[in-house]
Amino acid sequence: MIRLKRYRLPLLGILLAGLACSGQLNAQEEGKEKVPSVKEIVNRTNEAAYYKGRDGRAKVKMTITDDQDRERTREFIILRRDAPPPEGWAGDGETNSFCEDQKFYVYFQRPADVNKMAYMVWKHVDDRPDDRWLYMPALDLVKRIAASDKRTSFVGSHFFYEDVSGRTITDDVHELVDTTENYYVLKNTPKKPDEVEFSHFKMWIHRTTFLAVKTEYYDKEGKKYREYQALDVKKIQGYHTVTKAVMRDLRTGGRTTLEYANIAYDLDLPDDIFTERYLRRAPTKYLK
Amino acid sequence: MAVQEYMVNLSVNRPRALTAVMVLVTVLFAAIAALPSLWPDSVSFLHPVTVDTDPENMLSHDEAVRIFHDRMKKEMSLHDMVVLGIVNEVDPDGVFNPESLRKIHELTEFAKTLRWPDENDPDKEAGVIEVDLIAPSTVDNIEPVGLGVVKFEWLMAAPPQTREESLEIRRKAERIPFLNGTVLSEDGKALCVYLPITSKDVSYQIYTRLKERIAGFDGDEQYFITGLPVAEDTFGVEMFKQMAISAPSAMAIIFLIMLFFFRKFVLVLSPMIVAMVSVILTMGLLVATGNTIHIMSSMIPIFIMPIAVLDAVHILSEFFDRYQETRDRKATLRAVMDTLFAPMLYTSLTTAVGFASLALTPIPPVQVFGLFVAFGVLCAWFWTVLFVPAFIMFISDKSLENFGHPPGDHHEEPKTILTAFLAWTGRLTFRRARTVVAITVLVAAAAVYGIFQIRINDNPTNWFHESHPIRVADKVLNEHFGGTYMAYLALESKPDVQEADAYAEALSKRIDERGAALAVDDVDGAKDVFEIFRAEALLLGRTASTKEELLEELEAFAEAKSASEEDLSFTWDEALLFVDEERGRGEVFKQPAILNYVAGLQEHLLETGVVGKANSLADIVKTVHRELLEGSDEAFRIPDSANAVAQCLFQFQSGHRPGDLWHFVTPDYTKTVIWAQLRSGDNSEMAAVAESLDRYIARNPPPSPLDHQWFGLTYINVVWQDKMVSGMLQAFLGSFLIVFLMMTIVYRSALWGFLSMIPLTVTIALIYGMIGFVGKDYDMPAAVLSSLSIGLAVDYAIHFLTRSRSLRNEHGSWAKAAGWVFGEPARAIARNVVVVGVGFLPLLLAPLVPYQTVGVFIAAILFTAGLASLLILPALIAILERWLFPEGAKMGLACKCGTVVFSGAALTALIAINVRQFVDVEWTTLTWPSLGIIVILAAACYFTRRMRKCTPGIGPVEGEIK
Repeated sequence: MIRLKRYRLPLLGILLAGLACSGQLNAQEEGKEKVPSVKEIVNRTNEAAYYKGRDGRAKVKMTITDDQDRERTREFIILRRDAPPPEGWAGDGETNSFCEDQKFYVYFQRPADVNKMAYMVWKHVDDRPDDRWLYMPALDLVKRIAASDKRTSFVGSHFFYEDVSGRTITDDVHELVDTTENYYVLKNTPKKPDEVEFSHFKMWIHRTTFLAVKTEYYDKEGKKYREYQALDVKKIQGYHTVTKAVMRDLRTGGRTTLEYANIAYDLDLPDDIFTERYLRRAPTKYLK
Repeated sequence: MAVQEYMVNLSVNRPRALTAVMVLVTVLFAAIAALPSLWPDSVSFLHPVTVDTDPENMLSHDEAVRIFHDRMKKEMSLHDMVVLGIVNEVDPDGVFNPESLRKIHELTEFAKTLRWPDENDPDKEAGVIEVDLIAPSTVDNIEPVGLGVVKFEWLMAAPPQTREESLEIRRKAERIPFLNGTVLSEDGKALCVYLPITSKDVSYQIYTRLKERIAGFDGDEQYFITGLPVAEDTFGVEMFKQMAISAPSAMAIIFLIMLFFFRKFVLVLSPMIVAMVSVILTMGLLVATGNTIHIMSSMIPIFIMPIAVLDAVHILSEFFDRYQETRDRKATLRAVMDTLFAPMLYTSLTTAVGFASLALTPIPPVQVFGLFVAFGVLCAWFWTVLFVPAFIMFISDKSLENFGHPPGDHHEEPKTILTAFLAWTGRLTFRRARTVVAITVLVAAAAVYGIFQIRINDNPTNWFHESHPIRVADKVLNEHFGGTYMAYLALESKPDVQEADAYAEALSKRIDERGAALAVDDVDGAKDVFEIFRAEALLLGRTASTKEELLEELEAFAEAKSASEEDLSFTWDEALLFVDEERGRGEVFKQPAILNYVAGLQEHLLETGVVGKANSLADIVKTVHRELLEGSDEAFRIPDSANAVAQCLFQFQSGHRPGDLWHFVTPDYTKTVIWAQLRSGDNSEMAAVAESLDRYIARNPPPSPLDHQWFGLTYINVVWQDKMVSGMLQAFLGSFLIVFLMMTIVYRSALWGFLSMIPLTVTIALIYGMIGFVGKDYDMPAAVLSSLSIGLAVDYAIHFLTRSRSLRNEHGSWAKAAGWVFGEPARAIARNVVVVGVGFLPLLLAPLVPYQTVGVFIAAILFTAGLASLLILPALIAILERWLFPEGAKMGLACKCGTVVFSGAALTALIAINVRQFVDVEWTTLTWPSLGIIVILAAACYFTRRMRKCTPGIGPVEGEIK
């Protein structure tokens, strides 16, 4: 029962949140009258999903459920810090502004046997592959991870690594296929189809908050096989933030739910905690 | 006999009406069966034809092993698999060249598309399960690349362009235990792609589609498709083709031989019609009652046909021999039916009983098979008795002018080879009676030795002929790989049931230790926090009902504290962590000691020689551990702590296929599965592996209590085979006893009863003795045929004995009667043997081995039983004449003490056997009451015998049996 209720609420939540802020932002007022360019939608969506504030922190509870409703949970704290913006950034949505490099630090708390594991990513938006590190306390080992692609599972869940760190927007060709009362519907087709398992994906982007509320992935035969949905949105420090989301694998019947708590932005996280040194000794101060 | 007269009158006087009724009934049955399949909507109240080719259904759905199999398959997300093998023997690098790998990649991509909406559930898909497909392009490689760096990638993201890249793929795959010997062969010549499928019944379709695609390829590669599901599903499909070919061709041969014997085309049509009618009625009823057409029930027509023809041949044979004496159809038919009615009734009844006894086996398809063959046999008897004479009435006297054996004393002046041979046999058995019996005893003794050599074994792949692509594929792939037959060994930790308060005691101790350890590490307020925490745990231990509830409440307590006591929240987080660790204590398959034990089991499986490859959770952990530690061989081991295991698995799950882990262990880490790849699907091999493992586990008990249990198709086959063998044996014993009882009652004498069982016993002994000597496996068809041998072999004995008995009484002594017996009666038996025995030889050409077995068996049973009846019975009659035909007055059945005791014993044994099928009692428990009953019976008999009506001359006179 509870699950059902929660499922219905968020869309309404997003709508209300959208209405509440629409009066304050001129750019968005205008956006209602003229449909923004595809590029602008893409940029704003990217910002809304991955670039809020200069940095941020969240405590994440991940629930991985399989087709037999067997659940596993993981709890971790995620820290994010963006590279400084270029000079003279105006936020007009017409530049590639929200394509800065980012650093992530993920600190695992549960289950107990992975407690104190730490994972760090330096995300590069150019052609360089991301730098990733992993610290495994039980083996007292820090490893750099080299991966051929970003479409591997994020810690055994139905989210991919790329879903968490953000897919580079220049990897796809974007088309606006539909504009509904509340959403822009984008169809994204990969420029290098051999490197990914999907043929394209569709995003339903909320017109005022630019949050992707739903994303559907289609396989090479054109069949939908994977689906992301935002389940809850809260306004935190003025930023509309998805606080609950689910990724469903339609082929296996499994799903992963992410619930975010203790969200905070603009914490002035120092750059040096995103280094190998802090993998072995977690920056406890910033994790609280 | 009133019924007999009525029936004979009906057929000779009203042939038209009778035929009309028969046609009508047959058409009706055919319609009931066919209509629902042709127009399912308009006759929805009827059952359509349903086909079930799944040998798994040899066991009923609620059989423990099937429930376990289904449950584990679900829990481990395991599916039946089609195995596609690609071999390149020409290229020096085997399949590891760009061209072969390109084709493999293409086939893999093609295989991914082999899915379609499920007929039963449009929301689901049927076919290949793409996410679990195992192929070079769908699995991950993990390896260190430079110091401190570990790399994850698809093993073959795209087909390689150069030979070096191809060999690089081989090098990578060889390092991964899961792939080596499973996906690539150790010699590098072959690769296997494993296609998990939604259910077994799609495998034939996938097999066909793959073959079509492969047909479009050229080059040095050879392609093989195998796996038990393919074998089983393909067998089902080919079985139906066989039904359409084998049964009619057998009919055609039978027809030709009858034509050769009776030389009258129209006349020999009648047995054909009877056989057809019986088959249609039986199969119609089978479908109409909602039974499925299964591997077993598909054989029903083949079993009914020889039996249906049998009786008709007797009638025709007699008619043929007698017609010229009177040249009157009605009179001849009356005489023929007068002689044959009783033996035909008894033979049909005994045959029907033989098959019906299969209803007592614990195997549902065999039960259905037995009951319906029994029904078909009775149908055949009914229509033979009515229709064959009626049919003869349709033939004008004129066209019968030259029909039949010329009149005269044919048994003295043999005209044909058959007649001459039979007459010679008759003289031989009379003069050399003791020699015949002695030879029989010797042969039987040898046969018994042979029976002890029998190897019980079956293998669905071997149901195909050696040249069949599936057999070839099986052979080739099992030479290159660890094996294509999957069996799974499930290990389950026995749950540690503990009361909450007892648990709290142990818990409080561990909390104390942790608090002390944290205090040493200078964690703020560790001592105080853990003391409060410990007190709460003990308190909750008194109120909580279960361990889980206790931990939940303890967690809530710590969470509240962590939130409220800001400066100590870090320490309270340690308490929360402790709760989570407590929960993890049940995750036994993360414990290094257990994983090392699993690795030991795996090692042992390989030592059996049957298992060519085994995969387990231990391999995954070892592999990841090695790659994390720079790929050094010494690091190929289970790390020392459960946390380290968990962190290795965490890494494993960060690849492209995180779900693969759950094919080896459940998410709660209480159950694990070892995949064993067997090189052979022989049940005997699987059984040997299971036994060997049991011994190993008994010698090496696990570090913590574990249950072990096999599942998987290869293992299921063993279980149903065991049931089949023991079930068939008991059904055989049961029907043997019933037939003996019937014979004793029919002949009013246990001695005659024994006599009639001799050809049957000798036949069975010889045939199964041969199986033992030749080394043919005692498999499903071989087991089922034992019931057919009862049905057929006792027939000849009944015919022979009944006729011998009346002829002996007619002529006064066996010396005088023997010659007559070896006239018409023996000829009828001999013709029967030839007609039916030769008629089934075309089955030898069938590409499916069970059909060949059936063909050989039917022929062998008929020849042996015919021979046994014509040689042993007359010899024994010659020797035992004094006891078989006692001088003086006849007594009632109840007065013969020996007969009563023997039938009593047989009846008691019969009941005991059947009780044991359903109630689990030991033989020893059953033996004592049974013996008691027999003693009581003997005593009762002693007293009845002293009664007046048993005094010679006063008791009721034994009825004459014809």
